[in-house]
Amino acid sequence: MASFEPIVFPDAARSDLEVTIGQLVEQAQLVLSTQGRLRSLIYANRLVVEGLELAEVLRSIVQAAVDLVDARYGALGVIGTDGRLEQFIHVGMSGAVAESIGHLPLGDGLLGAVIDEAHAIRLDHLNQDPRSVGFPDHHPAMEGFLGVPIRVRGEVFGNLYLTEPTSGSFSAEDEELVGVLAVTAGIAIENARLFDIARRRERWSAALADVSSALLSGDSDTLSVVVDHVASLVDADLVCIVVAADAEGLLDVAAARGVDSELMLGQRYAAEGSLVGRALASGEPVLVTRQEPGEVVEWQPGLGPTFVVPLEAFGHSIGALSVSRSVDRAPFSITDLAMASEFAAQASVALELARGRLDREALELLDDRSRIARDLHDHVIQRLFGAGLSLQSAAGRAPGAVGDAIREQVDAIDDAISEIRTVIFALSPPSRPDASVRHRLLDVVSEVGAAMAAPPRLSFSGPVDLLIRGTIADDVIAVVRESVSNVARHARATRCEIQVSVGDHEIRVQIDDDGIGYSPDSRASGTANLAARAADLGGDYLIAARVEGGTRVLWRAPLIESSTAMGGHV
Amino acid sequence: MIRVFLVDDHEIVRRGIAELIDAENDLEVVGESATVARTLGRVRATTPDVVVLDVRLPDGNGIDLCREVRSADPQVRCIILTAYDDDEASRAAVLAGASGYVLKDIRGQKLIESIRRVGAGESLMRRDVTRQVVADLATVSTPSMPELSLRERQVLDLIAEGLTNRQIGERLKLAEKTVKNYVSGLLAKLGMERRTQAAVFGASVKPPRA
Repeated sequence: MASFEPIVFPDAARSDLEVTIGQLVEQAQLVLSTQGRLRSLIYANRLVVEGLELAEVLRSIVQAAVDLVDARYGALGVIGTDGRLEQFIHVGMSGAVAESIGHLPLGDGLLGAVIDEAHAIRLDHLNQDPRSVGFPDHHPAMEGFLGVPIRVRGEVFGNLYLTEPTSGSFSAEDEELVGVLAVTAGIAIENARLFDIARRRERWSAALADVSSALLSGDSDTLSVVVDHVASLVDADLVCIVVAADAEGLLDVAAARGVDSELMLGQRYAAEGSLVGRALASGEPVLVTRQEPGEVVEWQPGLGPTFVVPLEAFGHSIGALSVSRSVDRAPFSITDLAMASEFAAQASVALELARGRLDREALELLDDRSRIARDLHDHVIQRLFGAGLSLQSAAGRAPGAVGDAIREQVDAIDDAISEIRTVIFALSPPSRPDASVRHRLLDVVSEVGAAMAAPPRLSFSGPVDLLIRGTIADDVIAVVRESVSNVARHARATRCEIQVSVGDHEIRVQIDDDGIGYSPDSRASGTANLAARAADLGGDYLIAARVEGGTRVLWRAPLIESSTAMGGHV
Repeated sequence: MIRVFLVDDHEIVRRGIAELIDAENDLEVVGESATVARTLGRVRATTPDVVVLDVRLPDGNGIDLCREVRSADPQVRCIILTAYDDDEASRAAVLAGASGYVLKDIRGQKLIESIRRVGAGESLMRRDVTRQVVADLATVSTPSMPELSLRERQVLDLIAEGLTNRQIGERLKLAEKTVKNYVSGLLAKLGMERRTQAAVFGASVKPPRA
C-alpha cells in the first residue's frame, strides 16, 4: 500500500480551516481521552464496590487508584484512634524492597500532613515540600505525589497515597478522579464493615449456641469451653476467666487459653490494682492498650491490647473475662468489645445454669453418700458387732487353740468396724468442715498418699475433732503430711497406716510403714521440724525401725486441760 | 447387783450384750426394748440402775429418749452405746445427759467396766470434751441457724451440768415440753437430728452445703 506524504505548500500560510480542523481534532482527542479516563473511573468504581471483605476492598481501592492515574506506587493508610497510621496497604513496591525498608510508615511528614489537613495534597516534587521528612534508607526515590483522604460516614477513615505517575506529574484531573474514587471507596469500606459486623455477629451467635449446649450437656469443663470460643472469635492471643477467690480481695485464674496461658492458669492474686479488679468493682468493661510484664503481679506476662468484661448472671458476679492480644497487634475494635460483652452476658447465664445443675448433682451425690453411710451404720456395723460379740463369748467356752483362732477373727472384725467407721465419717457431710481435723487429715492423706501403690489407711480413736483444735491441729496435720510424704518418697512401702488418737492425757500420732527402713540422712530435713513442734508442746517425737520391718513414726503431745472449770457434775 | 436395761433395735446386738452382762456375777439384764415407744413403760416397770441405749432407733432418737428416761427418774443412769465415732458419740452423750458412752467395738470395749462405774454413780464424761461440745454449739452459726439465743444457751449450760428436762424446766420456770423443744433445736444445730433419726432422714432435711 502506497503512503501519502502530506502535501505542503511552501510559503503558503495555514488556512483558517486547517487551524480549525487541527483544533477540532485536538478537542476530539481530548474528549476521547477524557471519556477513556471516565470509563477507567467507572471500571475502578465497580472493582472497588464489588468486594465484601474489608482487606480485599482496601487492596482493590489502591490498585484501582494506581491504574486510574497510571502511578507507579500507591498506598492506603488507615488512621487509628491515636491519629496515626494503623494499617498501610501498598502496591507497586516489591516485597524485597518493602522488607529492606523495615517498618511501615507511621504517618509522619507528608503522609501525616494529609491526615492533619484532611484534604487532597498534590505535589510535583514531594521532597521539596517543607512538610516532607525525607525517606528512610532503601526507600525508592519518589517525586510526584498525590494524597487524597477517604471519608466513611463523614469521618476520615484513611488516605490514598499515589506517587511516581508515568506522565511525570499528577494533573488537576488526576486529583479530581482520585477524589471521586475516594468517595466510592468510602462507601465500599462502610459496606465491608457492615458485612463484617453482620458476619461476626452471626459467628458470636453460633458460638453462644455451642457454648450453651456444651455447658448444659455437662460433659466438659464449662469455663474452658467459654475461653476457647472467645479466643477464636475475637482473634485473641490470650483469654482468661478470673473468679473471686474464697479469700477476701483475691482472684483466681480459673481458665486460660493461648499464649502464656500456662503462666496464668491457677494463679491467685490481689484484686486491687488489677484490670479484673477494676472491672469487677465498677461492673463495667475495662480496656487498655498494653500492660508491661509484671506490672500488676510479678509473674504476669506482657499484654498488648486487652479488655476485661465482668461476668454476671441473675444479679450476682461470677467473675470476669479477660481478653488480650500480643503487644505488637492491632487493638480491639468497638465491635469486638460490644460483642464480647454481649457474649459474656449470655455465657454467664449458661454458666449459672450449668452450675445449678452441678449443684443439684452434688446434692444427689451427697444424698447417695449419706444413704450409704446410713446403711453401713444401721446394718453392716450392727451385724458385725453382734456377730463379734457371739464369737467372743464362744471363744471363752472353746478349748485353747480354737479359742485363739476365734479371738483372731474377732480382732479382724474389730478392725473392719473401725475402718467402716472412718468410711462413714468420710461419707457424711461435715457439719463444721473448718473445725474438723479429721476432714483435713483425710484430705492430706489422700493428696500425699496418691503417689503410693496402695492408699494409706487412716484411723482415729478418741474425740479427735473435739480435742485437737487450733495450732495443735496444724501440728498434727504437719506431722502426718511430712511423715506420709516421706514414706511415699523414700520408703518404697506397700502399706502405710496412720493412727491418730486422743487418749485421756495425750494426743498420739503413729505412722507405720513396711518399707526399706529408716535412714537418717534421707529424711533429715522435715523431721527436725516435727521434733521441734513436739518439744514446744512438751511432747516427743520418735522415729525407729519396726521389728517386723519398715519404720514407725510416733509423735506425742500432752493434752493440756484448761483451768477454766465448766462447773456441774462432770 | 447392778440392774441393766438394753435398748437396741438389732436383736443380735441385744443378745450379744445380754450374754456378756449375764456372764458377770454382779450384773443382770432386767429388760430390753427395740423402739422408743416400748422403752419408757418397760423402764418404769423394771426400775433398772443403768440403761444402755443406741442413739439411732427406728422410731426416734436415743438422745431424746435418754432425756425422757432421766426426766421420769433422775436416779436412772444412761450409757450411750453407738456405732458412731468418739466425736459424734461424745456430742450425743452430752446432749442426752448420759453418764458416758461406749463405742460398738468388741475387743476394746469397756462396756462391762463402764456399766459398773456408772452403776456406782460415777460419770465417765470428760470435762474437756463436754466443754468443747458446749462451746461448739454456742458458736455454730449458719444463715439457717443463727447463734444460740439466751434461752437456748441457758438450757445448754444446764444440760451440760447433767440436769434432766424436768429439772431444767423448774430451774428456768419453763414447761418440760418447752425444754424438749429447745433440746430438739440444739440437736438440729449439730446436724444430730438427721444423723440420729433413721426413719425420717433424707425426706425433708437437705445437707447444708453442696
